[in-house]
Amino acid sequence: MVQLNHLSYSYGSHTILNDISLTVPDGSFCAVMGANGCGKTTLLRCIANLIHPAHGEVVIDGKPARDYTTRQLAQRIACVQQHPQTDIEFSAFETVLMGRNPYQRHLQNESQHDWDIVEQCMKQTNTWHLRLSLPSQMSGGELQRVMIARALAQQTPYLLLDEPTSNLDIAHQFEIMELLTDINRNQGKTILIVVHDLNLALRYCPQCMLLQGGTILFHGPTSEALQPERILTTFGVKTHLVEGYIQIDGQSR
Amino acid sequence: MKHNRLLTSAILAIVLLVAMALCSMVGVVSFDWHDLTQSPIFWNLRLPRVILSVIVGAVLSVCGTVYQSVFRNPLTDPYVLGISSGASLGAAIAILMGWEAHLWGVGSMALITAILTILLIFKVASIGNRMHTTTLLLTGVCLTFLITAVISLLMALRHDKMESIIFWTMGSFASASWIDIGILLPVSIVGILIVLYYSKDLNLLLAGSEVAQSLGVEVEKVRRRLLLFTTLMVAFAVSACGVIGFVGLEVPHCIRLVCGSDNRRIVPYSIFVGALFLLLCDTLSRTLIPPNELPVGSITSLVGAPMFIYLLYKSKRSI
Repeated sequence: MVQLNHLSYSYGSHTILNDISLTVPDGSFCAVMGANGCGKTTLLRCIANLIHPAHGEVVIDGKPARDYTTRQLAQRIACVQQHPQTDIEFSAFETVLMGRNPYQRHLQNESQHDWDIVEQCMKQTNTWHLRLSLPSQMSGGELQRVMIARALAQQTPYLLLDEPTSNLDIAHQFEIMELLTDINRNQGKTILIVVHDLNLALRYCPQCMLLQGGTILFHGPTSEALQPERILTTFGVKTHLVEGYIQIDGQSR
Repeated sequence: MKHNRLLTSAILAIVLLVAMALCSMVGVVSFDWHDLTQSPIFWNLRLPRVILSVIVGAVLSVCGTVYQSVFRNPLTDPYVLGISSGASLGAAIAILMGWEAHLWGVGSMALITAILTILLIFKVASIGNRMHTTTLLLTGVCLTFLITAVISLLMALRHDKMESIIFWTMGSFASASWIDIGILLPVSIVGILIVLYYSKDLNLLLAGSEVAQSLGVEVEKVRRRLLLFTTLMVAFAVSACGVIGFVGLEVPHCIRLVCGSDNRRIVPYSIFVGALFLLLCDTLSRTLIPPNELPVGSITSLVGAPMFIYLLYKSKRSI
């Protein structure tokens, strides 16, 4: 269970998260939504203890995140971030194998067990055939699946994803969301995902949290969250529901 | 995998030892096995020179590997970071002051300015306790230009010392002594062992510092330790033999082009390949036009650059 207690984060004088308290129950598949700059990414980075909140705390399975060692936390929380561009590249297999790092000591080599897990994670994400490819040789969707495979290889109960579907075409967006749904249902992982597409969230994520100006506007079932009036307050966009789909009418201004 | 790594390292070590034996026999004065033990030239000049070039080669290429991974930039090496030029400033000052006669007078001055330079660069480039890579590299490049200009000015003012300064900035093992080895060897062994210990973390650092942290690496701690020890190693190496460019840049890339990006292979291999490369370059520098010596820094580039370009051209793997 991930609990946030009065979490605040500011960058200089600019407050990004302001007194956020909420509980993410185990097994939930929750969309994190809000306008650009509302603090979605910062929230995920706080939960993963990549940055330290100014006030308040993140509690993971009953223990404050800052009390975990980096290794211990890497065995509980996996992150899928935007893949950074590098000139020195690793093959997809090597990349996924890095997901086993939290379980290895210095100078220790991967065991057969690690190799098996990597193979299984790559097959699950349909990336096994890409194992010898380099990131520069892969498409955006393939690379994103490799990143998810690496997060799966960490074998954590929690999975945080920062916009994994941006830059992907519709088919690949669905593919990623189907994969995550499968992981959530069959492996019981708790998933927090930053997603921009309202309909994608409505279709795949049972829960949703709406952020606005660093505070939580709503946390609960997605169908309730994405009511036209809430979308209007959060994004400033007029919408209406057509046969279960959110139809965007235009900006409110 | 481990078996392969150990085996390859062992083969490289044997090749290096054989090369050291052969290289120490050729030169202006050639030896055969019988008079080796009696000759003071061998014991006091040739052997320290061979050993020093081996240590410096290993240090420069291991440090190049570390810098390229930590800063996630394939163009980084001790030279680009400004450490080498910092050392050459100290050496130039010492030469102008006439401290060459003192034991290690030039070397210790070079060590001091090298460390001051890197401290200044880190100070400029760190925001809070994090290091900004682009700023760091730009600061290093700027300082290199600045220091080169200062050295040129110094040389213009004192024509009489010009030659020895130039020779120092091009690097040379001609003055190698057992004292140099005695100082450099312990620093190098400790430093290289630490780099080997963290070689897996180097892989993760290449994926980005936040990714590395979320995969269980204590990024800031690992980074600080690696930078501290590599900088010390480079400063000591440069102060012993002058500025030798290209080794730290080229050797890690050549290994990378042949056997992939895994630093658990690159770090141990670069110890031996770097050592071998600099040993051969130094041997060439003292045997090509005897009894004259060529600056070893120009030999490393003359031999290394075409080889590097060939590998780049041949390889499908991008660096």
